[in-house]
Amino acid sequence: MKLKALFSIFRMKTAEGFQYRLAGIAGATTSIFWVLVEITVYRVFYTYANNNTAGILAGLTLNQLISYSWLTQLVFLMQPMSIDSDIQSKIESGNIALELCRPLDLYTHWFAKLTASRLTPLFWRGSLVILVGMLMPASYRLGPPASLINLILMLLSFFSALFLCTTYGVLMCVVRMGITWGNGPTYMLMLIGGVLSGAYLPLQLWPDSWQRFLLLQPFAGYLDIPLRLYVGSMSPQTAFAAITLQWVWTLIFILLGKFLLVRRLKTIVVQGG
Amino acid sequence: MNTLRLYLRYIKMNFLAGLQYKGWSLMVLQVFMVVVTDPISVIFLFSRFGDVGIWSATKIMLIYAMAITSFGLAETLCRGLDYFPWKMIRTGDFDRLLLRPQPLLVQAAGSYFHIHRIARVVSGIVVIVWCLRDLKVEMSLLNIVTIIMALVGGFLTYTGVFIFTSGIAFFTIQGLDWIYIFTNASYQVTRCPVDYLPNILRNVFTFFVPILVMSYYPAAAVCNWGQPYWKGLLALPTGLLFMTLSTLVWRFGVNHYQSTGS
Repeated sequence: MKLKALFSIFRMKTAEGFQYRLAGIAGATTSIFWVLVEITVYRVFYTYANNNTAGILAGLTLNQLISYSWLTQLVFLMQPMSIDSDIQSKIESGNIALELCRPLDLYTHWFAKLTASRLTPLFWRGSLVILVGMLMPASYRLGPPASLINLILMLLSFFSALFLCTTYGVLMCVVRMGITWGNGPTYMLMLIGGVLSGAYLPLQLWPDSWQRFLLLQPFAGYLDIPLRLYVGSMSPQTAFAAITLQWVWTLIFILLGKFLLVRRLKTIVVQGG
Repeated sequence: MNTLRLYLRYIKMNFLAGLQYKGWSLMVLQVFMVVVTDPISVIFLFSRFGDVGIWSATKIMLIYAMAITSFGLAETLCRGLDYFPWKMIRTGDFDRLLLRPQPLLVQAAGSYFHIHRIARVVSGIVVIVWCLRDLKVEMSLLNIVTIIMALVGGFLTYTGVFIFTSGIAFFTIQGLDWIYIFTNASYQVTRCPVDYLPNILRNVFTFFVPILVMSYYPAAAVCNWGQPYWKGLLALPTGLLFMTLSTLVWRFGVNHYQSTGS
């Protein structure tokens, strides 16, 4: 029964997201432009820089880096970058009281909603970017995965990343609930996640002395871990540990989210009538 | 003169309204974080790979900072135009502007003002000054005037992009996301050393939306990177021309406006 309700929420939200096909396609042009500029910059460094072998020494060839850039545009769409507008307006207007009347746990409800809204952009915007990436001329093309095993591990890690992103998103909604005056703090917390995910630059190219920290922090699981598995810069042997790490962080986010939610709901004051 | 006064009153009103909002100082911090984290990939790439021929991180950061400061100025002073397609057309609020006997563009430009957007301008200027000192550029009067003219030209260009977008928004709103190529994504082009920029990108951002004219050429003129100095002075006239042409698109849009609201 409960599962059915969750599934309907998920389906409703997905259908809603699909209405913005055109916006998604228009957004894809920006993503494609972005990747092409990025690839150009990387190519310049890999060809003309004074230490042009530094990238390969760090464990990434130019071709791996190009594939990484294309896939970034798909995977990063899952990251929560702002509070879901639906949930935000409920928090602001006090309609959250309505949500509390439903015979459905608020955490699970939000979780289903966010999963759907994190997933829908992948269909239009994301898949279009990937398609264009595969059709590019050789020097700009999104290459195949390192091996079949790498692809399978990447997909596993990709779905783990979806839950990691969603649970962090729900946690942010809960934090937002306790702040009556704006989005600043949650926005910054989400921005930190985005930066540390590797979407700006693959984490392997960050300073060497930070590598251990970068791999262990929760946001590597957003994007860097699945993409390392795809391009083959992480061996299948370490994949198990990496995916486990993603789930450990997901679990921490869930527990923290539920804990804070219970505390917030005890003291919540609903404004308006 | 009257229009300028009207614009300033709009800004003052929105500024004071913004201060009422408790979170505004945090919003400054928020934009500041976006600005600081944006170029980290350039910094990390240079620190790992070293210089690229004659190009150092400082030179790239100078060009990049010129571009983001221009963008920041446009975003701060003409936020209303940046928001126009989404906040004015979709809601039908534009009808109200049409009722008033005042210039439309001024009303639209002044309709929003966000203090926190100033963070991009301030950090941009700090980086420009720091880079110029680091490159040991002589701060002659001519050089200072060139930089200021470039920033004003850049401001006009980005405002032009907003006006141009708003003009198109009269016909379609849904498919407008590609416009980010010429706003928030456009200054990413300056991360690439110009000599190595593919011709198509170089031409688009020189002759169509002249971002490089506002950033690279003035920087090259001031720092003496082998480009003729006069190219650095083109920023202001080019910006004016671009904005004038954008206004034509806007006029065309306004003439074909059909209200969406009630």
